[in-house]
Amino acid sequence: MAMMPKRVKFRKSQRGRIRGEAARGNRVVFGDFGLQATQGGWISAATIEAGRIAAQQYLRSEGRLYVRIFPHKPITSIPLETRMGKGKGEPEYWAAVVKPGTVLYEISGVSEEAARLCFARLAHKMPIKVRFLRRRPA
Amino acid sequence: MAEELQVELRQHTGKWNNRRLRRAGKVPAILYGHGKDNIPLAVAADRLAAVLRHGSRLVSLSGAVNESAFIRELQWDTYGLEVLHVDFARIAMHEKLRVNVAIELRGEAPGVREGGVLNQLVHEVEIECPAGSIPEKLSLNVNNLKLDESLTVADLELPQGARCLEPPETILVQCVLPVEVPEEEVAAAEAGPAEPEVISAKKQKEEEEEEQ
Repeated sequence: MAMMPKRVKFRKSQRGRIRGEAARGNRVVFGDFGLQATQGGWISAATIEAGRIAAQQYLRSEGRLYVRIFPHKPITSIPLETRMGKGKGEPEYWAAVVKPGTVLYEISGVSEEAARLCFARLAHKMPIKVRFLRRRPA
Repeated sequence: MAEELQVELRQHTGKWNNRRLRRAGKVPAILYGHGKDNIPLAVAADRLAAVLRHGSRLVSLSGAVNESAFIRELQWDTYGLEVLHVDFARIAMHEKLRVNVAIELRGEAPGVREGGVLNQLVHEVEIECPAGSIPEKLSLNVNNLKLDESLTVADLELPQGARCLEPPETILVQCVLPVEVPEEEVAAAEAGPAEPEVISAKKQKEEEEEEQ
């Protein structure tokens, strides 16, 4: 099931710009290892779910996976072969706005080798470049 | 054991001077505490990285100043690759400090063999201990952790003279069965509404009136 907000204030949002790097959510908090974005972009709810399933299938019942991003942004599109004008399109899907440096997923309870292999599978699903990240020293 | 760190005085402060310093392979730092003046310092980035890699929290500064200091705060870049700034706090060896120390799990829990998963809820705890005996990490033995059992702060082995500042009943690690969502629930969630509910000003007013 793709994620989306339960309640929203507005059905549609403007596109916006992704400026700067992630000042928050850029370190491993819940798990031992993380997957960090090195590029910015929109990650759709379907992609987040695909990544989660890929990782979960590798992990099976071992360890625990944390998803650190949530698709808050409605993305609209207009149907094909539509004439210009007639207003903004209808919401098509939901996406998470990701700044470079954002931690996307975290894993706990597995060895580093297993976490690396798991994230390598997950990284194939991502539309942006990502890197493996360890927990920072206390 | 305190590691030695060569420092030099930082003549020019401010954003641009610090950026120049970082380009030259140095890290801006500050020394403060004990009611004395703050001293802006610079330290070699590779030497500092080595000190951090060894897990040292205490350093004896030499060069521009000759004092013992505690690494109170580190500022990292977005990707957690480089240290941007270090805070050194002056200390005396007998002085008691409050520090966050990482928890390391040791051993193999029997509960995992029974199909459980180790769930570490807390990764670091705040302790108060003499500056001379700050541990690098606190090890927590999970060799006796069975399924549906947990270890708390009270089970931590602290160094002599140290006191944990977290409540003793705080659960650090537990061994539980992995949570599996039943297929019926997944199907129900998939059949949920395609669009979220929109909170309109009218609706909110109506709700408020209903409440009244």
